[in-house]
Amino acid sequence: MLGKLLVAASALFLLGQGTAQAHHSFAAFFDSTKVIKIRGTVTDFHFTNPHGTIGLDVTDAQGKVQKWKAETNAPVVLMRRGWSRTSVKPGDVITIEGWGSRDGKPYLRLRAAFDANGKPIGQPFGQSDG
Amino acid sequence: MLLAGLAAAVAAVGVGSIPATAADKSPPDLTGFWSLEAAPHANDPGLIAKLPPNTVVLDDTGITEFPSGDYGGLKPRPEALAAAQKWKPQDEMTLSRVCAAPSVIYAIQGPFPFEIYQTPTLIVFKYEYFDQVRLIFMDGRGHPPADAPHSKVGHSVGHWDGDELVVDTTHLAPATITNNGLDHSANVHMVERYKLGAGGKTLMATQWFEDPEVLDNNGARFIQWEKKEGNYVFPYDCDPSFATQYQQIGAPEGAGK
Repeated sequence: MLGKLLVAASALFLLGQGTAQAHHSFAAFFDSTKVIKIRGTVTDFHFTNPHGTIGLDVTDAQGKVQKWKAETNAPVVLMRRGWSRTSVKPGDVITIEGWGSRDGKPYLRLRAAFDANGKPIGQPFGQSDG
Repeated sequence: MLLAGLAAAVAAVGVGSIPATAADKSPPDLTGFWSLEAAPHANDPGLIAKLPPNTVVLDDTGITEFPSGDYGGLKPRPEALAAAQKWKPQDEMTLSRVCAAPSVIYAIQGPFPFEIYQTPTLIVFKYEYFDQVRLIFMDGRGHPPADAPHSKVGHSVGHWDGDELVVDTTHLAPATITNNGLDHSANVHMVERYKLGAGGKTLMATQWFEDPEVLDNNGARFIQWEKKEGNYVFPYDCDPSFATQYQQIGAPEGAGK
């Protein structure tokens, strides 16, 4: 049912990929060298500026559920990359790849998302801007 | 209404999007939807050469941001530096702060598009970021008295210097310069210089600013946008509940309910 936490992969370098910040600073909150991937069940999706958020219940290898939050680019940016407020719904099982929080919280900045079948949700950041 | 009227006026006079030539003394038409050019590009030497001395060109345009403590070569005065060093990223993640718009000192370089509407006496910049709108008065007026109200978009007057639009802005309310704790004062002064690239599909600008209360040197950015026909600016309508979302991260189940 619930997904499992995938391995944090520091070897995943995203050269040439940027991070469209809105109001608060990406550089201050997230570590651009700490790329992580999580799979879980969506609990909520807020599609509002300055950033959207996706709540995700992620089950680790010991079966413990941890509540994660993924911050997205500003929805005005996401809309030009094929996202809408119905792209993700509570109950969906999805995988999110992104940059981890500097403070160690279960929080990341979304770079790319995939549905349960591995199909990309919208376009990953860096392929189409603005 | 104002924007629609301006657009109609521009359309009515049949202004094209071809840069002026020596034979055509009318100024270039900057009208259009402009999206930040994400691909690497060189600064325009002609625009950079016109920057005043004692100016550092910040390398934080677009998607790039400075980490905490890095001000890109700006030299903050002691009081400003002390205030910047006290800043913490979490300070911004509150209901009262998270939707506080930055001033155009920081806002115009971000990865968000804007629209330009142009008439001989008034040019309008309509930004997607925080729904900001600037009126650039081209009718020869000056700035209001120093104690006139300030805002995040300030008061702007412009003129044409050949094919380049020069915009002078004052009356900016204090806000961030680099999005990491360094704020400008209410007396910051900004001068932008815009010009079209060959073919009229690229817009380039330098944004220069001085703020002697805060900085011992001057700052500037080079920004480049590309024209994207058929697009328009989306509403931003910032929702401060994002701060609540952030504050709940890692909180025990049911906390805050």
